[in-house]
Amino acid sequence: MSAGAILEVRGVVRSFGGVRAVDGASFAVAPNSITSLIGPNGAGKSTLFNIISGFLRGEAGVVLLMGREIQHLAPHRIVGAGLVRTFQTARALSRLSVLDNVVLAAAGHPGERLSGVLLRRRAARECERDARERASELLRLVRLDRHAGDLAGTLSGGQRKLLDFARALMAEPRILLLDEPMAGVSPPLRAQLLEHILHQRDELGMTFLLVEHDLDVVMRASDRIVVMSAGAVIAEGTPGEIRGDQRVVDAYLGSRP
Amino acid sequence: MSAVTSGEFWAFVAVVAGIYTIFALGVQVQFGFSGLLNFGHVAFMAIGAYTMAIVTVKTGLGMWVGALLGVLAAAAAGVLLGLPTLRLRSDYFAIVTIAFGEIVRYVATNEDGLTGGSQGTINLAGSGEATQYNGSWERFQSWLGGALQIGSKDVLMLLVVWSAAIALLYACAALVRTPWGRVLKSIREDEDAAASLGKNVFVYKLQSLALGAALAGVAGCFYAWQFSFFSPADFQPLLTFFAWMIVILGGVGRIWAVPIGSVVFGVIFAGTRFFDFAPFSYLDSAERAYVRLILIGLVMIGLVLFRPQGLLGRREEMLLE
Repeated sequence: MSAGAILEVRGVVRSFGGVRAVDGASFAVAPNSITSLIGPNGAGKSTLFNIISGFLRGEAGVVLLMGREIQHLAPHRIVGAGLVRTFQTARALSRLSVLDNVVLAAAGHPGERLSGVLLRRRAARECERDARERASELLRLVRLDRHAGDLAGTLSGGQRKLLDFARALMAEPRILLLDEPMAGVSPPLRAQLLEHILHQRDELGMTFLLVEHDLDVVMRASDRIVVMSAGAVIAEGTPGEIRGDQRVVDAYLGSRP
Repeated sequence: MSAVTSGEFWAFVAVVAGIYTIFALGVQVQFGFSGLLNFGHVAFMAIGAYTMAIVTVKTGLGMWVGALLGVLAAAAAGVLLGLPTLRLRSDYFAIVTIAFGEIVRYVATNEDGLTGGSQGTINLAGSGEATQYNGSWERFQSWLGGALQIGSKDVLMLLVVWSAAIALLYACAALVRTPWGRVLKSIREDEDAAASLGKNVFVYKLQSLALGAALAGVAGCFYAWQFSFFSPADFQPLLTFFAWMIVILGGVGRIWAVPIGSVVFGVIFAGTRFFDFAPFSYLDSAERAYVRLILIGLVMIGLVLFRPQGLLGRREEMLLE
């Protein structure tokens, strides 16, 4: 099953002190799909996200992005390889405008290099214009276009989540890891956000890996669900399969004596 | 004519404010735009000044090449300091920079053969042989004075220093408006977020540190030319904190706050010497010299209480998380 996987995690281990936060987790994400990672608090989902995106180093195991081992890569190189992540708490760059937050994510901008600033002024100007246009579109998509000129620090928690989403899309990843994208987002916007995710998958061939606690969203959106508990993957399957899995029910509610 | 009304005296104050502007601009780039806590900034000034003087006196390359090498040496020192330390958490980086500042001063004090030691640049070519590094500068000044019909050296220096300062302020203001500057600001705001968007945080920090260091190197050369002589004692850690005060006084993250902060700072600093009325007249002049530091401290405390964003900063920005 791993042959065509865009992302594969195999036997990843990471401890903090005496606690094995991730304890030999393995799963694969198929391209052009939405995979959700669920599990009770402390299951190791966020730690695993940090390992996949290069913010933490695993102690054992491999992480393959399109067949290539990425565990030794720095976070910015992993972005270059096509994997972008968002954070559980939205990371708005407060004293940058909302628009600049999104434009910043444009990949390969010649104006971001000192050599480009000095020598490739025209290319930098053109790239900046295109990036601003695309960023404005993305802001319309998440309904933040009215706030484009405001400082990002003035946005509410839910708006920051949407800004993070738009910013991640701006980076044009092959696979996008979203850490609780729905948390703090109002119900009407949730439905829209979900629609955008489905749209990106269906029309643009994007792949998503989500950590999400809203099981309603997870069941509706996911092609596959990976269930983690105590650092390990305890079940994996389609929403239908997971719904009826006794191990999952036990992990969430506690097992019967 | 008393000093208060002396044009020469205030021209001198303005020259020093111009040199501080260039010096503090480095801190503004590093801290105000990239969030780097550099508490050893004075070391880069020392490296710029010493490299210029040493190259001038000990090689045949001349003072102008020496000045260029001084600025490059300061930038290179920024890179060398940054390579092992910029991956550290920001508070550890700050500690290392303080140590770096002191190391440079101690090296300058003890490497007599290279720097002239504690005797300063007069000893550059060895003791018993008084040396000067600013012959070319004097010639440049008299040429410029002839061309502009200006007799006063202080006024000439004022023109030269402030022309350089304004050019550098413009260049930095343009630079931080580019997409490159936007990446610096994103690192200042949240370096993990910047990394998660594909930015090589380490390289940008290194560039910012080196650019700020180069500015300190420029300030070091002007300092050396203004005073015609310097020694390691000129590069006390206090100078670094003057630059920080100027940046905080003017406003963090605002390029044009730097000259305003420098002028206000310079006027307070120089103005206190005219406190010859009671109760200051009960103090002798050495004691009065400390009054200026107390006064600046009070101004800083008042500023932090009533205008934490500085003279030019925006309060709304201060209050954002």
